[in-house]
Amino acid sequence: MIKKPRMVQISEIVQESKDVKTFTFNIKSILSNYSIQYQDPTPGEFLMVWVPGIDEIPMSLSGFNNNKDWSITVKEVGECTEMLFNLEKSDLVGIRGPFGNGFQIPEFNFNNQLNIVVGGGIGMAPLIPLISELIKLKIKIIVIEGVKSKEEIIFKKYLKNYLIENETFYISTDDGSYGYKGFATDLFNSIIEKEIEKGNKINQVYSCGPEQMMYELFHICEKFNISFQGSLERMMRCGFGMCGLCVLDPSGIRVCREGPILDSKILRTCTDFGKYNRDFSGKKNTI
Amino acid sequence: MSEFFKKIAEKPFILASGILGVSYSSMKRIFEGGAGAVVTKSIGPILRKGYKNPSIIEILPGTFINSVGLANPGIDNFISEIKELKQNNITTIVSVFGDSIETYTQVAVKAQDAGADAIELNISCPHAEISIICQNKQLTYEYVVAVKKELKIPLIVKLSPNVTDIGEIALSAEKAGADAITAINTVNAMVIDIETQRPILSHGSGGLSGKAIHPIAVKKMFDLYKIVRIPIFGCGGVFTGEDAIEFFLAGASAVQIGSALYQDYNAITNIINSAKKYLEVHNYKSFSDIVGNAHKFETQEAPDF
Ligand SMILES: Cc1cc2nc3c(=O)[nH]c(=O)nc-3n(C[C@H](O)[C@H](O)[C@H](O)COP(=O)(O)OP(=O)(O)OC[C@H]3O[C@@H](n4cnc5c(N)ncnc54)[C@H](O)[C@@H]3O)c2cc1C
Ligand SMILES: Cc1cc2nc3c(=O)[nH]c(=O)nc-3n(C[C@H](O)[C@H](O)[C@H](O)COP(=O)(O)O)c2cc1C
Ligand code: FES
Repeated sequence: MIKKPRMVQISEIVQESKDVKTFTFNIKSILSNYSIQYQDPTPGEFLMVWVPGIDEIPMSLSGFNNNKDWSITVKEVGECTEMLFNLEKSDLVGIRGPFGNGFQIPEFNFNNQLNIVVGGGIGMAPLIPLISELIKLKIKIIVIEGVKSKEEIIFKKYLKNYLIENETFYISTDDGSYGYKGFATDLFNSIIEKEIEKGNKINQVYSCGPEQMMYELFHICEKFNISFQGSLERMMRCGFGMCGLCVLDPSGIRVCREGPILDSKILRTCTDFGKYNRDFSGKKNTI
Repeated sequence: MSEFFKKIAEKPFILASGILGVSYSSMKRIFEGGAGAVVTKSIGPILRKGYKNPSIIEILPGTFINSVGLANPGIDNFISEIKELKQNNITTIVSVFGDSIETYTQVAVKAQDAGADAIELNISCPHAEISIICQNKQLTYEYVVAVKKELKIPLIVKLSPNVTDIGEIALSAEKAGADAITAINTVNAMVIDIETQRPILSHGSGGLSGKAIHPIAVKKMFDLYKIVRIPIFGCGGVFTGEDAIEFFLAGASAVQIGSALYQDYNAITNIINSAKKYLEVHNYKSFSDIVGNAHKFETQEAPDF
């Protein structure tokens, strides 16, 4: 794990959509320069990304490979992400991590299980390495990507390398400009009903995206008795469990450490999920 | 002995301010893990976002630098957390700061009214304006006297190591009516990124905590124990039972634990169990039996020539 922020050179930038870019960098030089012990990241883990002079913000790993190329996929929403967007190939950015727990992934494909992955917008980012892993494990999956409008679709080309559109890969748009018209949650509900009708058992649902979406998905899963894992977003200062800013009530679970991936068992007891978060001062606000 | 100090004597392990002290639920976990009390994040009169990130970094294994900058939701937004703590029967010390004698007092009184068992006066955050108080014995006296006058609950004053003579500040606090002292807050420090050649923390400098400052804190404790009569809570780099025992031997009535708790919620239980094991092995009944024992020895005052 990289504990102190270390500068890496951006090796590639891909524009995924109007306001989403993927940045790739190789971390071998950091590992050797500073004798850092390396461990393969787990899908769902995140980095703290430092733009010197601006801010340092959490970003999920959207990719990593054996060559130790890591990537993050960033949506431009404010000051720090805007500055990231101004960076060019060869520019430096600081990283520390990876932090967090990552998704719990089944070790092998038993009983022909079916897993469903649901991403909302930029929430697709941590799901990409998860999907790659599930495919590698030959686990049957259905992927749903929900966006507001056609221009926001990301990773479609990548996903179509492995999945078949409208069979194992669905897109929903709120405005109906592409694919299913409506919310990802409604599409998810209808897919589940269809699969259950066909006699298929859904073992696991993974999700990342707006909390309201995950909140609804979780409740649909509860209704059908399907276990759920969602990647939660909370304000993060330290990213490793010290400051307490990301703590959930009433369990005391730290989203940066015991999370960001939380499962049904934890979410059931969480009174904050879908309802409250904290700002950078620690003040609790309704979502 | 007041009710509060009885509770601390029974379980002399306290959560330090600023670590997992934002929400009642993390403090509850630490209390349930065996702490005798918890100190909340330092709370001020109004909402404050503090410094931008990077603001907390692990720079060596178990050693951290931070410049959180007293981020807090403001006392009015924090009342609900204090009430939750009290509803859960948690012995609660509210850490308080302000920007004047009046605001320090206001926040302390509001915390008292919300149910706090004690107040810890933070006059020693090294990367915020308030640090000037703890560097001046007269200011320390004035602030402590003023706040103490309005309190029915015990007042603890937290001191900084970043002063020429911590002893005179401690005496000042004692004279002003402080019921106990916490020593130490973080040690002034800086880290520079050699690639960009700039300080890493957004604020530039910050406070060092964790393993590296433990010996510094033990020395401050050793010195303070000779000077003041009120109880002293040792704070700085307690990661193991051994670290805690050192503090007691140097003169601490209780120890505070901060940085070590980032690991997991069991960390405090492990430290306490290991410290209790020491008592058992060495046939002591309680931690109070070993307080100040390191002072029994003569140390070499002049070098050999
Ligand atoms: C575990 C985790 C993983 C994330 N992964 C991704 C990702 O893969 N791709 C992506 O585009 N975004 C991701 N985010 C969200 C991303 O961190 C915010 O969009 C980013 O911090 C915005 O910073 P800004 O300065 O551009 O915007 P600002 O204008 O500063 O803030 C806009 C909003 O971003 C959020 N934010 C700001 N600072 C922080 C912080 N320190 N911690 C948490 N949230 C913050 C808040 O909701 C804030 O209201 C992730 C967040 C978390 C907690
Ligand atoms: C992230 C962080 C935040 C802190 N915030 C406060 C604070 O708000 N008020 C305070 O009095 N001390 C604060 N401190 C100092 C600690 O309470 C403690 O004095 C110091 O960290 C030394 O103890 P430790 O080595 O066990 O962490 C903070 C320390 C850290 C690491
Ligand atoms: S961000 Fe500091 S504890 Fe999670």
